[in-house]
Amino acid sequence: MSNLLEIRELNITLVENQRPIVKNVSFNVGKGRILGIIGESGSGKTLTSKAIMRLLNEKIFTVKGQVEFRGNNLLQMSEREIEGVMGKDISMIMQNPMTAFDPMMKIGKQIIETVKAHLPLSKKQAYDMGVQQLKKMNLNRVSEIMNSYPHTLSGGMLQRIMIAIALLLEPRIIIADEATTALDVSTQSIILDEFKKIQDKGISLIVVTHDFGVIAKVANDVIVMKDGEIIEDGTVHEIFYNPKTEYTKELLKARLLADEVSYA
Amino acid sequence: MLRYISNRLIGLIIVLIGVTVLTFIFSNISTVDPAEAFARRNILNPTPMQIEELREEMGLNLPVYRQYFHWMGESMKGNLGISLLTKNPVSADIAKKMPATLSIVGMAFFWIVVITLPISILSAVKQNGVFDHVARVITIFGISMPNFWLGFIMLIAFAVVVPIFNVVDYGNFKSIILPSLTLAIPVISSSIRLFRATILLNMNKDFVTYAKARGISKTNIIWKHILKNSLPPMITLMCQNLGYMIAGSAIVESVFSWPGIGSHLVEAIVGRDLPTINGCVLVIAVIFVLSNLFADVVNIMLNPKILNEQGEF
Repeated sequence: MSNLLEIRELNITLVENQRPIVKNVSFNVGKGRILGIIGESGSGKTLTSKAIMRLLNEKIFTVKGQVEFRGNNLLQMSEREIEGVMGKDISMIMQNPMTAFDPMMKIGKQIIETVKAHLPLSKKQAYDMGVQQLKKMNLNRVSEIMNSYPHTLSGGMLQRIMIAIALLLEPRIIIADEATTALDVSTQSIILDEFKKIQDKGISLIVVTHDFGVIAKVANDVIVMKDGEIIEDGTVHEIFYNPKTEYTKELLKARLLADEVSYA
Repeated sequence: MLRYISNRLIGLIIVLIGVTVLTFIFSNISTVDPAEAFARRNILNPTPMQIEELREEMGLNLPVYRQYFHWMGESMKGNLGISLLTKNPVSADIAKKMPATLSIVGMAFFWIVVITLPISILSAVKQNGVFDHVARVITIFGISMPNFWLGFIMLIAFAVVVPIFNVVDYGNFKSIILPSLTLAIPVISSSIRLFRATILLNMNKDFVTYAKARGISKTNIIWKHILKNSLPPMITLMCQNLGYMIAGSAIVESVFSWPGIGSHLVEAIVGRDLPTINGCVLVIAVIFVLSNLFADVVNIMLNPKILNEQGEF
């Protein structure tokens, strides 16, 4: 199995007081694999995923280490170069679909803007691309959606639009940061099914979550983070049936408990 | 949208009634008797009899509420009364003085827009840089300085020490510059603070992170997303300032001997010219209230979500 993304010795410290927040994190994402990163809030999982995409504010965080993607270290690219990779080769699905879109710009315009940032297409061509992609996501009344402001659409719908945008430019890897947390259970399972379909296209996924249920449904590989460090990693099977650390066992137990409650 | 505007207009009428009632009450509380003041100005040594006659002639012997309803009825017909000082119709006086005020307010507005926007954008984008620090110090000065003091300093600096402008001047473009700057500087200073803060707030919003993650260039993120989202509070503030500047131009106008509505109102207050006071207050209140409505309408057009949040769809 060849690796698409290799993270080596990733360290994130606060600029203000040099306090380390993410310590020596190393992992690989295989081609066409879904990697789940799990941990409680404050474990550094979101910071890690944002650091990979260079989305952290340099005035607040210092990021050191290597993020190898197709022979390049993403952390050393110029701003211009990284703009070319983001949204094109690596795309992101954000945690809260209700706040991720610009509230003052119509969905269609935000899609066109994304296409035009990467491809030399006309507005009309970019619009058509967006329409096609939204249709593939089984969304109805697509031209109406294109002409809507984000606040008039539901969270589940916006999340599917976000997935459509993520897939728009045929990326190699998609990072989904708590992409299902803000959604209700039935929408959640629709979105997770979409993740499976994304994988079928040969695209890799990093799924950041605090929910073992999400991991169980979609992930191939898992890393468990606690206090900014990876404390355990392995395939989903290994983690679920043979967890090595007490912490992972606790997390799994908490999840089972939550399931019993919700199914009772 | 139309329903929203008509609802707002009804609200505006209530505001206008409130403002005019207050003006009436305040001018009646005042210890100076307008009839006596008018008599002393026009008759040498008036007798108490003559003053009483004048009072009746002017309708000032009636109870306040009757004076108010009479004035209201007349002003609805467009008749604001006759000025006690100039003996001209109040509306004619206001129409004559308005262009002078509008010219400095308009010019001040121009300064505000062209100076505020670039400085606040640069300050926010290069947050805590040298430019930002210098801008902060200057704007704090600008906010702290009172208008009249700033006006005199400007006059001393640019009309006396370095005589680029004339101390008393009216009727040409050059004469507008100093008064409009004096009017604009405090507003510019506070607007820069607000706009910079709004831009910085928006820079940390989720939609900016997501735009970056989609590979949108930094310039496009700033111009098309951050600035657009920072405009609504700015538009509200600007339109409010327009009202404030027209209403508050009195001080600047008297410093620069500017023959606008502000100094006209001050003269009327000093001379107990009740019809002029009431007329000026009404006109200024209408302008003030309409500019606020204008701001809200522009904001709704920019961002329909506002209307939605107010449940007025």
